[in-house]
Order: sequence, then structure tokens, then C-alpha cells
Amino acid sequence: MSTWLANAVDRGGATNDWLSPKRQQSLELLQQSRWPTRKTEAWKYTSVNMLVDATFAETSDGIFDAPELIDNLDSIDLLLVDGVLRSDIGDLPSGLSIYSIADTPIEQREWAAEVFTGAKPSKHYFGLVNDVLATAGVLIDVAEGVKVDRPIRVICRQSNGCESHTRILMRLGSNAEAVIIEDFAGEVKSFNTGFSEYIVGESATLEHYRIAMNTGEAISIGGCHFNLNYRSALNSTVVGLGSSLSRLDIDVNHIGEYATAKLNAFYLLNGSETFDLHSSIEHIAANGTSEENVRGIVADSSRAVFNGRIHIHRNAQKTLAELNNRNLLLSRNAEIYTKPELEIYADDVRCAHGATIAEIDKEALYYLQSRGMSKAQAQIMLSFGFINELVDQMPNQNLAAWLRPHLRRRFAEMESTQ
Amino acid sequence: MSMLSIKNLHASVEDKTILNGLDLDIKPGEVHAIMGPNGAGKSTLGYVVSGREGYNVEQGTAVLDGVELLELDAEERARAGLFLAFQYPVEIPGVSNMEFMKASVDAQREARGEAALSSRDFLTMAKEACSKVQLPLAFLKRGVNEGFSGGEKKRNEIMQMLLLEPKLCILDESDSGLDIDALQVVADGVNSLRSDDRSFIVITHYQRLLDYIKPDFVHVLSEGKIIKTGGAELAHELEAQGYAWLTGDSAENTAETSA
Ligand SMILES: Nc1ncnc2c1ncn2[C@@H]1O[C@H](COP(=O)(O)OP(=O)(O)O)[C@@H](O)[C@H]1O
Ligand SMILES: [Mg+2]
Repeated sequence: MSTWLANAVDRGGATNDWLSPKRQQSLELLQQSRWPTRKTEAWKYTSVNMLVDATFAETSDGIFDAPELIDNLDSIDLLLVDGVLRSDIGDLPSGLSIYSIADTPIEQREWAAEVFTGAKPSKHYFGLVNDVLATAGVLIDVAEGVKVDRPIRVICRQSNGCESHTRILMRLGSNAEAVIIEDFAGEVKSFNTGFSEYIVGESATLEHYRIAMNTGEAISIGGCHFNLNYRSALNSTVVGLGSSLSRLDIDVNHIGEYATAKLNAFYLLNGSETFDLHSSIEHIAANGTSEENVRGIVADSSRAVFNGRIHIHRNAQKTLAELNNRNLLLSRNAEIYTKPELEIYADDVRCAHGATIAEIDKEALYYLQSRGMSKAQAQIMLSFGFINELVDQMPNQNLAAWLRPHLRRRFAEMESTQ
Repeated sequence: MSMLSIKNLHASVEDKTILNGLDLDIKPGEVHAIMGPNGAGKSTLGYVVSGREGYNVEQGTAVLDGVELLELDAEERARAGLFLAFQYPVEIPGVSNMEFMKASVDAQREARGEAALSSRDFLTMAKEACSKVQLPLAFLKRGVNEGFSGGEKKRNEIMQMLLLEPKLCILDESDSGLDIDALQVVADGVNSLRSDDRSFIVITHYQRLLDYIKPDFVHVLSEGKIIKTGGAELAHELEAQGYAWLTGDSAENTAETSA
């Protein structure tokens, strides 16, 4: 363990709450695990050395990047700053319940404790750290058959020098529908781990967004983990910018048959930023589908890591799994490490994967130039279009409309550093 | 003075000679139809004149309204007033039709020293062009040609032509795959732009289009050069008799090569 972690665990060990038995199990696992180094397969391309002796404040100066309003989104907002829930949980649509993890009514604890580590595998080192330390966060419960028409936006912010560990635990009853936005941003020196777990009930639908927009010196390590039951559907979009260290692990577990997962992820990296995305799709039950599109543009001396694992278990016949990763390099000094990992134990499945360092399509370039655009302008339009294609696919177009100018601005910065 | 003057044009792709001493002279206001067998080099002519990469000009000149084209980049040719309606328009998901067309119009305006249009003014123009080619306005928001049917793509090309108001338009099989109604739309689009200071090259396999867009001249392109030139009546002859009588191939040979 690192000095930082030993100290953090000491502090965390003092907490005694309804999750303590679970936290204790994770602590034991953590103690048996090794601090990740570049020799650890899951951390081969991203170093966490900077955390070894890091120190972060326990209390905050209270100044943080205020969350932006998103036009027409009409979301139910839950603001967590430095790991403390700041929002009052007000009136909610019927069938939707939200509780603070720090203040969970006794009668909710049983199901919530089952969701906790119910979807997140124990292999994630910082997931275990989060198990031990995340005393802040929210429980979200959507009752059977309920369609929540307002998106739920969980906003996590850090103030300068602070450390925070937050958790989202969400359960959707059968035939329920909901939209959740996990919104991480901010650039001040800080460290957050933000892990979320979702149990998607039979024939339920979850629309999920992880806005992973920590930049600058904001270190962010997190994960989103989903259990998909019979005929449930997940549509997830990850939007990534890079920071001195940004890492996200996605796990999708097809527990029930006929579950479908569509995952889109895109990242725009600049400066010396890192964004490291690992995804793992576990096709445990038959007749499931997964379609994953990951795209990145990397500029300057930034680095992108993508590891996409698809594991089709023996009984998961008739699975359809697709994985595609395309990257556009704007600079010679930028680095991309991409690796698909397939493990297939069923024989009647269709599985396609591809990873490419993309180039601007010559024919499209000529088409734009033949209309009068300069080559440089055409290249910019096509590069942005490469990412925008996935923005266009976001089911929530209000969120997409808010995002586009941010991405354009970032993209313009990336272009100007070339 | 000519609007477009092509002299002794020789061009190759990947060391294969495609254009073989092609001459063409077009006066302002004229419509020239180019017909000819598959593989004759019709599309190549459009690509070479518009500056597509990979096409090597070995000899010859092409002058548009006093500007020597062959030295210029594709965008400079467009800014000089050249427009090619593609035989196979390119799909560009993620770039909206609107954004694409506004950037194109603004780039050409900038080259002429004019200010960019306001979004509002452009929207008005685009809506008008869109309804002229009878595409629903939703097509302005969609990705460029993304998921458009063949006919919709062709109409989208005509919409761009209407917005860019070029001096010389080359329409490469803008009628192929169109039903009669769509054909009318394309023809109306072209005819609405016809003027004394604008010229057209209409590449087509079918005389039908030429009923709607009346050509001043019809040329037969074969093996990389113009082998016959006539008036509108030549298109009827070709429709009835094919090309074999001109190219010297017997009908049998033609059948064999195309098999
Ligand atoms: N990129 C290319 N590489 C090799 N040959 C090509 C290429 N493009 C066109 N050609 C050849 O050039 C000839 C003329 O093609 P094209 O101009 O498309 O004919 P048309 O439009 O008259 O049917 C054909 O034989 C075609 O196969
Ligand atoms: Mg052709």
C-alpha cells in the first residue's frame, strides 16, 4: 500500500456505518492486493505513482467549479462537493426514491447493501479503495414499471487540494425507465474516486451518461458497473477529457438473457493529459447483444489508453458482440494504446472487433474542398464530425446541445497546439 | 471568350491513361451533354477538372473564365466558380448538411472578399434551396448525405449548386437512379440556374434528362476523348443505336467486353 492509502484507510477505518461489514471485506481484499505499478496488467500504460506519497486536505476551502446549468434539461440535481452531499433531496416524481448514503433509512439498507459490490467486480484496486472510503453518495430506487421522465444528474465537484470518494447505487425495478447523468468536472488539484453500480431489472431501460470531464490537475479514478437482467436495455455514453490522471473502468454484466447494451465513448485529449478507459463486457447469459463504439482524438503529447474486453461465457449462446475503437492522432508526440481482448467460450456467437488509428477520409476531404473549403478547414470539420457522430447518437439531445460547444472549444484548443 | 476551354487533355490514374487528348470548348450560357459507354472517362473528366488527388495530368490545359485550373488546389477551383455534382456523393456522418453548406458558401464568399453570412440569412437561403429541390427541411440538420437514398443524394447535390451559384456546373449522372418526379426536380434546379453567364456539362446515359434540360451540344466520349459532336438530335440517335457504330466495335464485341 502507498503512504497515501495507508493514511486514508486509517481515517476511513474510523467510520462506522451500515456498510461497515462490506467495507471490511473490501479492506481485506485491498490488503491482499498490491499497489498497482506498471507491471500490473490493468495499469500497464498508466502510472499511479503520483498518488504514492500524495497528500490531500481532509476539509475543503469550499471553493469549487460551480456546475453549469444545462438548458432545457430539467434534471433532478444532486450536488456532491468534496464527498459531501450538498443538495436537499426535495420532492421527487412518484416511484422514484433517492437517499443519501450517509443518511440511509434502516428499511432501505438491505437492498442497498446488495447493490454495493453487486455489480462492481473486486478486481478494481481503486474500486476497493472506494468501497472502504466512500461514505458519500446516493441511493436511487426506481419502482417497478415507473418511467422517470426527468434525468437524474449527480454532480461531483472538488475544491482545491481535496480528496473525495463517492458512490452511486441505483436499482431499477422491472419495466422501469430512467436517465442518469454522472457529471464529473473541475480542473483544480484534487483527487476523486467515483464508482457507480446499477442493477437494471427485467425489461427495464437505463440511459446512462458519464461526463468524465476532469482536466488539469484533477485526478479522477472511477468506474461504472451494470448488471443487466432479462430483456433489460442499457444505453451508455462516456464523454472523456483527460487530466494528469483520469481512469475509468466500465463493466457490463449480461446476467439475464436478451439483454442489450449500447456503449458509446469518446475522448478529446490535449497537453500532457491521460485518459485511460477499460471496458469489460461479460456475456454470461444467452441471446444478449453488446455494441461498443469508442473514439478518440489525441493531440499534443497526450495519451489515450483503451482496453476493451469481451468475455462470452459458455452458456451465452447467440450472443452478438461488437467492439470498435478508432483514434485520430493530431500530433506525433501523442500516444495511443489500444487493445481488444476477446475470450469466447460459446460456439454459436457473433463477435466483431476492431481497433484502428484512423485517418481522415480522403474522399470526404476532396468532397469538402470541391465546395470551396480549404484543406485545413475541411480536416477540422471532418475530425470534429468523427466525434460529433457519437454526440448525435446521444439519446438526450438537450445534453448533446450543451456538450457540443464545449467539445468545439476543446477541439479548437487542440488544433491550436499543433 | 470561352467559359471553359479544355485543350489536348491527357490524364492518368495509377499509371493507366484514362483521358487521351480531350478537347472541349464551352461558351457562357451553353449546355453541353456528354454521353458515352461505361468506363469511357466521363467521371474522370469531372475529377481531373475539379482537382481530385491521384489524377495525374500529363498534358493539356483547362481554363475556366480566364483562370488556368490545372495548377490550382480543389478548393481554389471551386472558388473560381467550378462545381461538380458527384456521381456518388460522399456520406459524412457527424457533419450536418447545414454546417457543411454554410462553411462552403462562406469559404467562397471570403475568397471573393465578402463577409460571412449571418446564420439567420443563411438559414433563409438554405430553406429556400431545400424546398426548391423538394427535400424536407429536416435534411438540413442531418449528417451530410448520411443515410440519404440515391435520389435524395442527387437532390442534395443540386441544393449545393443552387447555394453556391457556380459559373460552370458539371453534373455527373445526376439523373441515374431517379424516378420521373425526381428527374423533374433535378432538371428544374438546373434550369432555374441557367443564364447567359453560366454553363453546364451534363454527363448522362439517358436522353430522357435532355428532354428536360435542353443541350446546345451533345458529345460522345469514348476511350478518353470526344469522338463525335452534334446537336440535341445526336442523343436520340445514341439512345436508339448505342455507341458501337461510333466506337467501331461490333455489337458482339461490346457484349463480350461488358460481360
Ligand atoms: N482510381 C482508379 N484506379 C484505376 N482505374 C481507375 C480509377 N478510377 C477510374 N479508373 C478507370 O478509368 C476508366 C474511366 O472511369 P470513369 O471515368 O469512372 O468512367 P465513366 O464515368 O465514363 O464510366 C475506367 O476504366 C475505370 O476503371
Ligand atoms: Mg462515371
